[in-house]
Amino acid sequence: MPLTEIKKHPYDFLLLAIILLGAVISFFIFSYEPHYQRRIIYLTSFAYLAWSLFHHYRKGDLHLSIIIEYLALILLAVVITTSTLF
Amino acid sequence: MVKRLWQHYFLPSEANNHKALLLQPAFISLFIIGYLLNQSLIKALTLIKPGVLGYSSEITTQKVVDLTNQQRRANQLPELKYNSILSQSATKKAQDMFANNYWAHNSPTGTSPWDFFQAEGYQYSIAGENLAKDFYDTDSMMKAWMKSPTHRANIVNPKYQEIGIGVVNGTLNGVKTTLVVQHFGTPLAAADIPQTPKTYQTEEITTQAKDLVAGSKKELVINPLAVSKFFGTAMFIFILSLIVVDAYYTIKNQTFRLAGSSAGHISFLLVIFLLLLFSRQGTIF
Repeated sequence: MPLTEIKKHPYDFLLLAIILLGAVISFFIFSYEPHYQRRIIYLTSFAYLAWSLFHHYRKGDLHLSIIIEYLALILLAVVITTSTLF
Repeated sequence: MVKRLWQHYFLPSEANNHKALLLQPAFISLFIIGYLLNQSLIKALTLIKPGVLGYSSEITTQKVVDLTNQQRRANQLPELKYNSILSQSATKKAQDMFANNYWAHNSPTGTSPWDFFQAEGYQYSIAGENLAKDFYDTDSMMKAWMKSPTHRANIVNPKYQEIGIGVVNGTLNGVKTTLVVQHFGTPLAAADIPQTPKTYQTEEITTQAKDLVAGSKKELVINPLAVSKFFGTAMFIFILSLIVVDAYYTIKNQTFRLAGSSAGHISFLLVIFLLLLFSRQGTIF
């Protein structure tokens, strides 16, 4: 399913790849600088949420239950990383 | 019965609206609460039994001076002379951070780095301070400083002539750690330049530290970052596995459902997980 999804919406996933690659690069540029790293994690999470809204709007299935699903997963990722690293 | 429960919690089926129960927002919220609880327990341990958790270190004053001068030579700058008075001010600063439980250039009571220089009687025309904590070795600490523009500016500042280092072990916020303070300076006049000692005074100065952990290198302390990373890693692997299995069964059963993108979730969580996994120990200020 993930591959079929990517083939169906290549530009959406290209955008996601750029967001995530940007996060990885900037995280390592700011190694040992927790203030910046924390901001990078927040920014990446916000960008992923924005991407999900954009992606599902284009797909035509943007519903509240989907937004809540994204919010829950994003919150989990943010809580694990920020409470562990900072 | 067990099989049905397993399917209900771990696999997408009609009974759970084609999404494993553990992947539904309510259960994700439980994971968040569980993780926060785990982190609170680690924090509580630092308060109940200060010093059980900590970062071990093999940083030495001499290595910090050597690596600093190595960076200066690489930048065609003259080496800094070791100054024992600057080392005393750096050590006093580190001790003050342990005593007043803070991690910053300025103390909560308003003491600035320059007050430590002056308290030791070092009259300077220009001075600077770099701080580091939780590093295991001098090389990675120096790399961290060199990667930060402001810390690098101190290390390769052509105006500085002297250096002093404070390496002090102690307990900060309930966690055993090593604080490293680099003090840079140029004395006001040549007459004020103190004699450079032939030998480094690391050991002598370090033993003056109030919270010194004698022989801390050999002491067994639990690294709090490693403990948190272990639980964080386990949680990420578990959630990622659930999403992969969920995606596999959805495509296998050709289920149409209203749900978030599995590819998106896997990519996002994988990247955040990698950031957590490859994050390095140590902080500079």
